[in-house]
Amino acid sequence: MFKSSGLIALLMMAFALFAAACAPTAAPTSAPVVQTVVVKETAAPQVITATPGAPAPASGSLAMNGAGATFPFPLYSKWFYDYAFVDPTVKFNYQSIGSGGGIAQITAKTVDFGASDAILNDEQLAKAAGIQMFPTVAGAEVLAYNLLGEDGKPITALLKLPYTATADIFLGKITKWNDPILQQANPDIKLPAKDIIVVHRSDGSGTTYIFTDYLSKVSPEWKEKVGNATSVKWPTGLGGKGNEGVSGLVSQNDGAIGYVELAYALTNKLPYGIPQNKAGEYVDVGKTPEGVQQAMSDFGANLGDKLAISIVDAPGKNSYPIAGYTYLLNYMNQEDCTKGKKFVEFFKWALTEGTKDATDLKYVPLPDDVKQQVLGKLDKMTCKGNPL
Amino acid sequence: MESALSPVRAAQHRARSNYRTRQIVNRVMLALCGLAALIAVIPLVWILGYVVQRGVGALSLDFFTQLPTPVGVPGGGILNAIVGSAIVVGIACAISIPVSLTAAFYVYARPNTLLGTLIRFSTDVLSGVPSIIMGIFAYTVFVLTQGHFSALSGGFALAIIMTPIVLRTTEEMLKLVPKTLRDGSLALGAADWRTALNVLLPAAMSGVITGIMLGIARVAGEAAPMLFTAFGNPFFSTALDQPIATLPHQIYVYAISPYRDWQDKAWATALVLIALVMGLEIIARGVASWQERKLRGR
Repeated sequence: MFKSSGLIALLMMAFALFAAACAPTAAPTSAPVVQTVVVKETAAPQVITATPGAPAPASGSLAMNGAGATFPFPLYSKWFYDYAFVDPTVKFNYQSIGSGGGIAQITAKTVDFGASDAILNDEQLAKAAGIQMFPTVAGAEVLAYNLLGEDGKPITALLKLPYTATADIFLGKITKWNDPILQQANPDIKLPAKDIIVVHRSDGSGTTYIFTDYLSKVSPEWKEKVGNATSVKWPTGLGGKGNEGVSGLVSQNDGAIGYVELAYALTNKLPYGIPQNKAGEYVDVGKTPEGVQQAMSDFGANLGDKLAISIVDAPGKNSYPIAGYTYLLNYMNQEDCTKGKKFVEFFKWALTEGTKDATDLKYVPLPDDVKQQVLGKLDKMTCKGNPL
Repeated sequence: MESALSPVRAAQHRARSNYRTRQIVNRVMLALCGLAALIAVIPLVWILGYVVQRGVGALSLDFFTQLPTPVGVPGGGILNAIVGSAIVVGIACAISIPVSLTAAFYVYARPNTLLGTLIRFSTDVLSGVPSIIMGIFAYTVFVLTQGHFSALSGGFALAIIMTPIVLRTTEEMLKLVPKTLRDGSLALGAADWRTALNVLLPAAMSGVITGIMLGIARVAGEAAPMLFTAFGNPFFSTALDQPIATLPHQIYVYAISPYRDWQDKAWATALVLIALVMGLEIIARGVASWQERKLRGR
């Protein structure tokens, strides 16, 4: 029925209709031959009026896109926000898509830098030849809990968890809150005879990686039965998505306990427990973040060429045992010299002036010995084989 | 006494009591229908009320004119996401509407050809595919080949989601146009394309616009396909080949954060998104009814 000329006319009509329907206020006239994408681009700002004087025009400045770990996202977004004032010629855009996603995207080179809480394994390193991990800050994890005492009032004291108790709880071996092991460690708290409800992450995450790394170090049984990964086969418990999922499940269930990032527990005022460290001490990391710095220093000399090391179960007397670095990922040899240079400049700023942001947001800056190694590595970055 | 009544009176009496029962049944049924309608409306009112309640506190003029701020920095807005959503949805419209309208005319005119059947079948399948799959598809086609995330890839993903909705509604609307109109036009010697353009489309216009609005409303709220295409951007950007912020993605970023400040902003952003989509819907309804009145007036 339709002739070809009819179809062409229809196509033109459809373009015109698009202009009328999609941007009723804009009404770009005539010329449906023009690429509609262009029409829309000019039409879009008209939809939102009163934008003059809007901050930070992006045009003309370099865009650096990065993606990865969720854990440092609040800090990175603060850093990149502040850095836009320090160096207005570059805009760092960081999206928290998870450590696994960050590794995948920098490997596929769809982003200019990646980020991860988990240490890249050999297979991942092989796939992204020439990639380097740069520690930025470290963070601690605590065990948020929710428990009503026998008098019906919530217990909010700092809960002390003996060396292997955390592993035994997550293995399902300690099942009651008034288990003698827990009660003896907490003589000041009257623990009720309730079941312990274990809560863990259901999604793959760097937080889980660090936590299971810790459990594997303190418990051979955990290492053998469950192991260490961004997601594992949990012997017991409920799963929640993200820190908010875990803390949500914890706060809804009397008798629940789950691991969350320290910043999360503190900002949401969750009562938490801390594990005993290797030296037998309890370091309240919420009050003394230096405990994490001490753990970094315990292993500081052994960072090696990879600049990545597990710092859980640190031996120092003042070290906090569940902690980990978070890393930015980038290639040692850059293809775009400007981007490479801007990356190094930013990183140096972050390790010096950026440390204040870090402590404000409950992250722990690198101790000096580690910082020097990172700076040394940054200076070795190249562009197309030449020094930056 | 019963027997004393004449057969006519008895029949009248029966009819009256029958009438009364039927009236009662009618009222009960009407009440039940009304109740069901109320139940159907409750979730909408509830959601709207809750989003307004949670979101309105964080709203201010700055919220519409500023860029997002990190945790601890007061103020901040979602200008980048509002503009970004407009751009990405605009791209989706630009790709989807011409394609789906012309395809709908084809399917209407030649429903039983191989291509017609194929189009109808594939749009049915397409409309059932989860939106995140479209995101992965756009990621593979655009992002991986171009080597970077972009507004364009986001618009492309949304266009694929939008197309089956617009196509199928348009086709249904065209089918509703009385066949006599079309026959009349053809009998007067108008060509096929002229009939389609000047008779069928105006007659079906209000329905077509509704279809387009449904499509826009659907894709404007999609967060999942944005994750690996439009990617998000805390800075203001209108570049089509660069990452761009969108409202649903901004809600997602704010909502999963541990900070109260950001969670409040997530609610406010949700409120803005709902208001924009509803506003667009109202405008489109107005345009459609105006079109219809104009048509009738002639």
